[in-house]
Amino acid sequence: MSLTEQRPSAVSAALAKDRLGVPSVVFFVISAAAPLMVVAGSVPTAYTVTGVIGVPFAFLMLGAIFALFAVGYVTMARHVVNAGAFYAYAAQGLGRTQGVATAWVALLAYNALQLGLYGIIGSAAEPLLLDWFGASPAWWVIALVAWALTGLLGLLRVDVNGKILSVLLVSEIAVVLVFDIGDLFHAAPSGISFEGFTPGSLFVPGVGAALATVVAGFAGIESSVVFAEESKDRNRTVPIATYLGIAIIAVLYAISAWAQTVPTGPDGIVKAASEQGPMLIFNQAAAHMGSTVATIGSVLFVTSSIACMIAFHNTTARYIFALGRENVLPSVFGRTSARTAAPTAGSVLQTALGLIVITVYAIFGLDPVTKLFFTFGAFGGLGLLTLLTVTSIAVIVFFSRNPSGETAWRTRIAPALAALALCAIIALTLINFDTVLGVASDSVIRWILPGIFVVAMVFGVAWARVLKVTRPEVYANIGFGAQAVSGGSK
Amino acid sequence: MAKGDLSSPSLADDLFFVMHDNVTGRTRLHPRLASLGLAGAVLGDLMLAERVTLDLASGQDRLYATARDATGDPLTQSVLDHVIVEPQHPVVTWLLFFARTIYADITARMIAAKLLNPPARHLLKQQPPAPVNTNTAAWPLARLNLAVQRREPPVVRDCVLYGLFVATGGAQRALWEHDPAFVAATIAMLPVPLQRLIVQTEVAVGEAVISRR
Repeated sequence: MSLTEQRPSAVSAALAKDRLGVPSVVFFVISAAAPLMVVAGSVPTAYTVTGVIGVPFAFLMLGAIFALFAVGYVTMARHVVNAGAFYAYAAQGLGRTQGVATAWVALLAYNALQLGLYGIIGSAAEPLLLDWFGASPAWWVIALVAWALTGLLGLLRVDVNGKILSVLLVSEIAVVLVFDIGDLFHAAPSGISFEGFTPGSLFVPGVGAALATVVAGFAGIESSVVFAEESKDRNRTVPIATYLGIAIIAVLYAISAWAQTVPTGPDGIVKAASEQGPMLIFNQAAAHMGSTVATIGSVLFVTSSIACMIAFHNTTARYIFALGRENVLPSVFGRTSARTAAPTAGSVLQTALGLIVITVYAIFGLDPVTKLFFTFGAFGGLGLLTLLTVTSIAVIVFFSRNPSGETAWRTRIAPALAALALCAIIALTLINFDTVLGVASDSVIRWILPGIFVVAMVFGVAWARVLKVTRPEVYANIGFGAQAVSGGSK
Repeated sequence: MAKGDLSSPSLADDLFFVMHDNVTGRTRLHPRLASLGLAGAVLGDLMLAERVTLDLASGQDRLYATARDATGDPLTQSVLDHVIVEPQHPVVTWLLFFARTIYADITARMIAAKLLNPPARHLLKQQPPAPVNTNTAAWPLARLNLAVQRREPPVVRDCVLYGLFVATGGAQRALWEHDPAFVAATIAMLPVPLQRLIVQTEVAVGEAVISRR
């Protein structure tokens, strides 16, 4: 037996041939984070809503915390089944009941992040339509077009093709860098100020709101471990790609967020961002480098937003599918479209929710950027923070129960530090949630929204208890995703 | 079933027929899912002919050869040879491995056996290979439909066919009615290695749906 195992395996070699290397995984991961959409959409909105100048520092700080989190996360990914989903970590680390609670939180958070994107697509496309046709429909018309496109592609299981994605991504990053350079050469009369990079500029009233937005900018980075099974070297590809992705995103976003403040000076950025919103960086670019560059940027802003929508739509639909496969959600969600191999029911559910949200916002005339994109983004960001914290704790518990020869830094110290830092950020975010929502500090709604996550957890725990009593065979396989049907054995 | 009997049309041929329209030959399934199902069917053929089985004790559903008698068919022989050379892999690895090429292999074998017409070209568009005899092609699906309608589990080979077709997600689409309880009861009648083969095919299909590629 040992002789056979030492011989190079033709089967493994053949299967390894179409596996992913580090660059492919990095591309997938960063494109889900949609750089241009964050730089053009999230950053000015964060300046507007929070009035905090230290956004660049926030990106660096959260990058460091994400990296710290990733240490334990990628380590545990080597040891668990269904490594793509946060609830699998909770289920296999903390217990199945906690797993279901985490799954509900994840569903809410990913849904919120996906739905929020319908708020930004209008402002992304409007200027272009105005420029080309002299008129533009209401934001919700554009949002509905994007909604229909996303829903259709979701059902057809069209993931944006890897090659197209790489081209888009590279051009996006290039445009962002060109814009940044343009900003640097047109500094405000007061000169270039590095105030945005000082901790003092971040830790002011409103810091929590800024942090929640910035977290949403990192959303998508956790998907790297999904590729564990499909990567060339399970032990190296995914960790390297994850750290690289986090580093690229943190540095790129921090520099870009800071560059936006250079032409206006730190004192003028909040005013400029409030007045121009997502147009800010394109107006700056048009002023510095001419309208052609700005138009290219605007087009990429639209494609970036749509690619991001599709990515999140599919992520969420697959999450729902995995839960349906486990029978944690009704098993209809575990069914596939045989023709397209798409997770149909999950996809349709996503699409239906999208229609409801767009309709409600259109009817009540709510502002799509600050009230939909930003609020949903921050709400999803808060959920993501919760998931990261739970996962960090799950890593510590998992390795204390299953010693595996991994170092203490990976299994205890880094996850513990990450959990502490994440808890601090959650606390700050909750303190400032009134700013996030733009409501008075004694408004009830600021507690209701975070409370939804608590309700989701309570429902999750209750549902897990029901499963344990009524369908023990389902309960036993919670957290195994598609593997659940095989009893979780690998 | 006597050892050495790899009857034609095989389980894989039958699964191919139920996954495709009996007149046009158009597929009812996404190629990736169809390929995983066909890989399962070829392994099922070898299990029914008592050439391979699963090592259940390991908890990994490892596939290994139990007999080395020639199968009398180049495709199944090549699959068997692979399994003999590398007995260390779990069945799910084999499903992924054979799924890479099995669709083309089975199509070619069925064309050679005069079960399918060679693919024709019409107006620049490649037509799928259509069945030579639409009745032959319709027969496996009809057998499954009748079994479901009467709630009578069919013969062992058709139980495997039914299980694999459900595992790929195609049965819910192609059969007259879908009854999860009857599916479970039918699969439960099979020997454990065949049950595990069906379950692992379903896992591979699920993973393929979740995968981003």
